[in-house]
Amino acid sequence: MKLFWEYILPRVVQWFVVIFVGVTVTFLIPRLSPNNPVDSAIGRLTGFQTINPEATLAMRESLLDMYGLEGTLFEQYARFWGRILKGDLGPSFTSFPTPVTSMIGTGLGWTIGLLGTSILISWVLGLVLGSLAGYFRHARWAKLLEGAVITVYPVPYYILAFILLILFTFYFPLFPLVGGARGTPAFTWEYISSVLYFGFLPALSIVIGGTAFRFIMSKALASTEVTSDYVQYADLAAIPKRKILFFYVIRNTMLPQITDLALTLGAIFEGALITEIVFGYPGIGYVLFNAINTADYNVIMGITLLSIVGIATASLLVDLMYPLFDPRVRLK
Amino acid sequence: MSKKLIGFFLLLLILVPSIVSVAQEPQGLPVDLPREELFIVDQIFRYGVPGNYNIWTSAGVTPHRHSMMNETLWYRDQETGERINGLAASDPVYNEDYTQMSVDLRENLTWSDGVPFTADDVVYTVETLMATPELGQSGWNTSFNTFVASVEKTGDYSVQFNLNEPNSRFHTLFETVWNGVYIMPKHIFETVDDMATFTFENPVVLGTYIPIDYDPNGFWELYERREDWQNSPAGVITENAGPRYILTIFYGDSARKAIAMSRGELDVYFDADFEAFQTTLETTPTARSWYAEFPWAYPNENNTRQFTFNYEGQPLFQDVRVRWALALSLNIVELQTEYIGGVAKVTALPIPPTQALQPLFHDPLEEWLVNLQIDLGDGTMYNPYDPTIPDQIAAWAEEQGYTVPGTPREVFGTGWWKYDTEAAATLLESAGFTRADNGDWMTPDGEPFTLEIQSPPDENDAFRMANAATDMWSDFGIDVTLSGLERNAWDQNGQVGQFEIDTPWMTATNVDGDAWPQLRGWHPEFYIPVGQNVLEGGGVQYIQRMRLQDPQWGEYIDAMIPLEPGSEESLVAEREFFQYITENMQMITTISFKKFVTWDERYWTGFPTAENPSYMPLYWFHGGKFAIQSLMPAA
Repeated sequence: MKLFWEYILPRVVQWFVVIFVGVTVTFLIPRLSPNNPVDSAIGRLTGFQTINPEATLAMRESLLDMYGLEGTLFEQYARFWGRILKGDLGPSFTSFPTPVTSMIGTGLGWTIGLLGTSILISWVLGLVLGSLAGYFRHARWAKLLEGAVITVYPVPYYILAFILLILFTFYFPLFPLVGGARGTPAFTWEYISSVLYFGFLPALSIVIGGTAFRFIMSKALASTEVTSDYVQYADLAAIPKRKILFFYVIRNTMLPQITDLALTLGAIFEGALITEIVFGYPGIGYVLFNAINTADYNVIMGITLLSIVGIATASLLVDLMYPLFDPRVRLK
Repeated sequence: MSKKLIGFFLLLLILVPSIVSVAQEPQGLPVDLPREELFIVDQIFRYGVPGNYNIWTSAGVTPHRHSMMNETLWYRDQETGERINGLAASDPVYNEDYTQMSVDLRENLTWSDGVPFTADDVVYTVETLMATPELGQSGWNTSFNTFVASVEKTGDYSVQFNLNEPNSRFHTLFETVWNGVYIMPKHIFETVDDMATFTFENPVVLGTYIPIDYDPNGFWELYERREDWQNSPAGVITENAGPRYILTIFYGDSARKAIAMSRGELDVYFDADFEAFQTTLETTPTARSWYAEFPWAYPNENNTRQFTFNYEGQPLFQDVRVRWALALSLNIVELQTEYIGGVAKVTALPIPPTQALQPLFHDPLEEWLVNLQIDLGDGTMYNPYDPTIPDQIAAWAEEQGYTVPGTPREVFGTGWWKYDTEAAATLLESAGFTRADNGDWMTPDGEPFTLEIQSPPDENDAFRMANAATDMWSDFGIDVTLSGLERNAWDQNGQVGQFEIDTPWMTATNVDGDAWPQLRGWHPEFYIPVGQNVLEGGGVQYIQRMRLQDPQWGEYIDAMIPLEPGSEESLVAEREFFQYITENMQMITTISFKKFVTWDERYWTGFPTAENPSYMPLYWFHGGKFAIQSLMPAA
């Protein structure tokens, strides 16, 4: 019980507070901007055609009513929480009457698939390659690998992504230019293989960037571990190198990176805006970007809610699970 | 051990992409259809409501659906300005006092499910839109409730609209450039309970094409031609089957469109910038635009580009001498050639010098422009107009090695204002401005004369025009800042009046020269002060952003109401209004729209060209369907 009251409960309460404050701030910020969804909608319509002024004004009134934006800020806020508790995020204003849950649902699968996979791959690759390079730090291949990573790492992500796009869609036209798959969703090999094919290039861009970052971190950590007394002693004791590498060096190198992995996975819900735009890939990053630009409050709220819950939950889980990875963490 | 492990990872790095690449054909289209049956169109933006074909709701504009599926009574071709009968069999007929409009409908049309199209569909559409505010598309509900007393069928293929008050332009609601009132299938919609949430899956259409598949993320949509395509208006008019399938696909920026065309995965796109278009010509030898050679681009879209002033945001703009000084310190030849590539038409009037409009406005006013005099403020009367501008641009083009395909005035538009910084300096000095020691201009208050231009970079020509003005006004001694803003931020700033100089586009008249329907929203009664959103007033946003409260505008616009549209009397009234704007330099109009509508003749031929101007090539407008329906497979 002591564990629950003194360790778990305060963290769960903190989790609730973070979500409540985050959502409240996100509710207020777009409403404080001079832009609003009704004027955005009218602006889009009248940008394409001239509509007579009386009809424009009547549309404005009708949209205010339809979007449920009448009432004071507090009334809107109360209605918002009422809906959230029922699992209803309301309709999108830009894509009225499409429900926000449906818009998020459509984009989220792609984002989780792409980012989840590529983050995990880059985490494992960066950790293992970095640790190997740190352990065998005098080997020529390790120096070559480090040189390559240090060259790639400072390249801004959007430049790297654009280079990959031009290289593999124009000069060597191996991959598609836009989209997430061929045809409409179906549980067939044809469709699943097309998902892998369409997602390869965007995933590669994330893996390269992510691996480089984690390689540098892991190598630095592994280099420190290698010089530790316990590793030196294990070496002198003729413990097999494989065992030293995996059970001594990599395990210790991995510890700080678990926090990074959990937080990065939690941030998946924000989407990968640059990846989606450069590669024309579906996902919630572009949906959020568009929603911010058009003051689509409900979509902003929906995605932000997911993002806040995702990151807060990831932090909570890391906090709760850290003692399992690091025996040195103990509740006193 | 380590070598084995490293070898394993390296092998993995090489194998994974190889396996994935080999498993798939290097083909990036989302559908597998034979290319000889598939025409691929650049989708101008992503669908926000994939799978919802109820276009009568207020879900917003669609990139192509409106043109492929839907029909209305008439079309206006932007190339010729002529009316094309769509669902109507002939022109609208009004009674003597314009309180009734009668329409005869085509008798040989059917819906895509085989049900005949009749007057019942038209009557049902109008009555349903009037009774259902939730169907908010384009304000038709309000417009009908304002103008229509009743609508009745006078035969199976004829209807009569009884109007609340005389209205000689009522037909324009059904006469489309971008869109017009789309007719509903009565036999489907009368079974629907909730019109606002009805998504109209498996749509029944009057157009030639039926949507059969789409991307849930809005990137693409696939259409199939109706078996009975001869029963659709475009089928009747073009007498051509057109492609069996049409895929609209969103590629995003110009670079990706150029790459897609080089890969044979795109047949037509717009709006490339000059460099992307040149890249397309180099990488896709079968690609071309309206002209086969210079100046390539389609020049007859009914819009102009201009610099507009925020009259409340920068009070110095209230002085006509300042506005004229800014116009005379722009070098239009350099702007049109060095910045725009020589590919747009110049215009001094706020009307584009298109094939259809130049004879109605620019030609009759040429003599007035040549004789126009302005007071430089020191008592000197000055002729600012230079009719030789098109000749100067033609000379530049020849220096570049280009052949000009017509007279300079046909290809490059009309004259413009002289580039005369001395006259501009005289104007500023007479307005109380002074020069600092370094040559920079100081305002009458002794402050440095600063200007901020806001422009969205994705609007290529507008942004380049803004760059030109920044350079030229800076050279003239003004401290100019150019802010390139993302479209929504730019719109938002404009709407609430947070700018000094803006670069919007403008439509001042319908393509047949009837200006009042466009100018109605320019009326000063729709003025909204800085700090409030101009959309709250209901007027035309790009005009009302200027916060110009000129009662003369109201008088000119009101005087047009009783005049017969298209009559010489009406045209004279419109010309007088445009003369007033021009001689007072209330906005600096520079060029008209040009569009690098770029298509690849590898798989399809018959797209309209300057040599064969059958229809306008602006495929994203409602009338673009005729260009697509005219296509033939390449041999």
